[in-house]
This record gives sequence, C-alpha cells and structure tokens, in this order.
Amino acid sequence: MNSDIILVIVVGTALAFDFTNGFHDTANVVATSISTGAARPRVAIGIASLLNFVGAFISISVAATVANDVVDASVITPTIVFAGLIGAIAWNLITWWFGLPSSSSHALIGGVVGSAVAAAGLDAVFAEGLVGKVLVPAVVAPIVAFTVAGIGIGLAYRIVGRQRPGPVTRGFRYGQIVSGGLLALAHGTNDAQKTMGVITLALIANGTLAADADPPTWVIVSAATAIALGTYFGGWRIIRTTGSRIIKMDAAQGFSAQGAGAAVILSSTHFGFPLSTTHVINGGVMGAGAAKRVSAVRWGVAGNIVFAWLLTLPAAAAIGAAVYGLTRIFGTGALGPVLVTLMALALVAAAFARRSQQTAPVPAGSG
Amino acid sequence: MIATMVETKELLETVLASLLAGVGVTTIFSVAIWGGARFADLNRGGRPLAAGAAAALGGLALLATVAAVVVGILVMTSK
Repeated sequence: MNSDIILVIVVGTALAFDFTNGFHDTANVVATSISTGAARPRVAIGIASLLNFVGAFISISVAATVANDVVDASVITPTIVFAGLIGAIAWNLITWWFGLPSSSSHALIGGVVGSAVAAAGLDAVFAEGLVGKVLVPAVVAPIVAFTVAGIGIGLAYRIVGRQRPGPVTRGFRYGQIVSGGLLALAHGTNDAQKTMGVITLALIANGTLAADADPPTWVIVSAATAIALGTYFGGWRIIRTTGSRIIKMDAAQGFSAQGAGAAVILSSTHFGFPLSTTHVINGGVMGAGAAKRVSAVRWGVAGNIVFAWLLTLPAAAAIGAAVYGLTRIFGTGALGPVLVTLMALALVAAAFARRSQQTAPVPAGSG
Repeated sequence: MIATMVETKELLETVLASLLAGVGVTTIFSVAIWGGARFADLNRGGRPLAAGAAAALGGLALLATVAAVVVGILVMTSK
C-alpha cells in the first residue's frame, strides 16, 4: 500500500516535472521564430505545443537510456526517483526565477543521480552510461549545433547575399515556420522521453514492470500531454533571454539556428542520447550570430548561460540528495514523500505569487 | 578511461548526420529562396526564359528541402 502511494506521488511529480520542462523550454523552441517576426507569439506557441505532443510518440530510445543506462534500476526505489524529480523541479524553478535557460534534462538526470548516490552510494550510478550517453554528448551537442548553424548561415548568405532583402527575408520567415516546427517536434521527441524514462524506472523499481520493459502507452500519452501543456503555458521570461539578448537575429539566422538545433536533437534521439535541447538551440543561436559577426553575440549573456549549464548537474544532484535525506527523516513509508510534496507545493505557490506581484501592471494614474 | 566509456561510433554518426542534415537543408532552402527572388527580378526585367530557369531551380530546391526534411525525420526516428 505504502509503495503504491509513493508510486502515485512519483508519477504525479514526474508529470509535474514534464510540465515544468515544457514551460521552461518553450523559449528554446519558439524564441527565434518570434524574435525574427516569423510567427506571432500565440501562433508559435500553439504550434510548438501541438508538435511537442506529436514528437513524444515517435521514439522511445531516450526513455530506454534514462530507465536503464544511467542508474542501476535494481537498487532504485520509487522514493529515490521522487527525490531526484524534486531536485530537478527545484533547479528548473530556480533558473526560471533568474531567467536563465538552463537544461531541464540535465536537472532531471542530475537529480536522480544525486538521490541515487545519497541512497545507495556511488555503485548505484552507471559511470559508463552517465559519461558516454549524457556528459560527453552534453559537451559535444552544443558545439556541433554552433558549427552547423555557423556553416549553414555562411553558405546561405553566399547564396542569397546579392538578392533584394525583402523576398529573402520573407522566404526565410516562411522557412522558419517549418524549421521551428521541426525543432518543436525534436524537443517533444527527446524531452518527453526523459519523463517517460523516469516513470518507467519508478514502475520497474516498484516491481510493476519487468527490468527491461518499454514505457507503457499510458505513460507515453500522459508524458506527451504534460509537456504539450507546459509548452503552451510557457515562460515568457526566458523567451526574452534566448530570443534577443544573445544576438539580434535576422530570419536567415533564425532558420539556420533552428535547422541546426532540430538536426542535432533528432540525430541524437536516434541513438538514445538524452540531450539538453536548451544547450543545443542556444549553441545554434550563437553559431548563427557569430558567423555573421563575432561581436554580434552578447558574450556576457552567453557566459551566464554557460555558467548555468555547468552548474545544473551538480546543483540538481545536490538538491536531489538533500531531498532524499529529508524524505528519509520520516522513515521509508509514504509520509516523507507526502510531506515533501506538500512543502514543495507551498514553495512553488509562494514563488509564483511573489513573481506575479513583481510583474503586476502598474495601475493607471499611479505615476 | 573516458575514451572507453564514450560510444564513439554513435557519437561520430550523430555529428555527421547533424552536419549533413543541418547544413544541407539550410543550403538547399537558400537555393530555393534564390530561385524565387531571381524569378521575380528576371520576370520584371523582361527575361522570361531566364526567369523560368530560376523558378525551376528554386522549385526543385524547395522539393528537395521538403524531401530531405521528411526522409530525415523518418530515418532519425526509426529504430
């Protein structure tokens, strides 16, 4: 009975994480289209939500990596997964608060690794899977996106450089509707699978599924729905950072950045690499900017983003470990997760209330 | 030690596929836009034959872009 209650809490928390993932990552998917004028915000976000939903159904390679290759499922308990999820959600909200586009994916993996180490020691982590499938691709992917976007925009400028800017801009804006859609599809494919992987891991840990099972259909549908809803209600704060603070882009650069991002994410998904879509699209944006003019990229803002990237895995791991410790104070039953969930909900509500007070419109006539 | 942990073949294939798909699609779509822009200019300049050739090249490039996107999605997501 206790383990079933914990499992329900884990599934609810995982879907809440998936929602925050979509919420947090909306910017990555739509910012370039919005900042170049290729699509109106509501339209761009609506399309992105729909394609995130569709994308969640087209592969399960990444879910398999998260469920089987990063931590040892035989020593994992639903409480460990729960603590990891809370660590990831907490880090997502902290970076959302400060407007930093950090990686939800690395937060999730960091959180689960941290809580697993706190619970079962270093042996609970598959170093090979963590390094080979998460850390190395995490470093390589943004560099590849940077390079692809840079080469792509260089060639594009050579081809269309002597044409009148009007038709060229219009053409690339139309193209951005497709490249932005592809990016949303790629995002749904890679990111929703991480939640599927975590829920599957919890189901395996609970004995509900066999050790090498694929995610059940209800897990896929619920993860797809949560990320799509999160994307729809996504964070405008971070859109501003990605869309205009890194560089001021034209439509060709936006197309190239989105195309590079989609290409990198889809190819990585094929091999089951749980990438950070945030890192990849920001790498593409910087590559498209730097190829035109190195000084066009606001390297100070880019540096803040890189700092958040570097901090994400260890910070989420530390929070995941701390949450696991807190949960265990109340024993091994359902009481710990229930109390931690209530505390987390109270903190989230307080954060949103404070944020809405800070961003409330100034009444007319108040000065 | 790290070298043995990295799935080098898969990683290299990912890098290569990303380069081909990302750069390739941007390039052929740029050719499509070039074709469209040239068609309009040449047509206005009274050179219908050259305009037709530019439009044909642009159209082919557009078709190639769509085909590359569709094939890319199918290949990348099949396993």
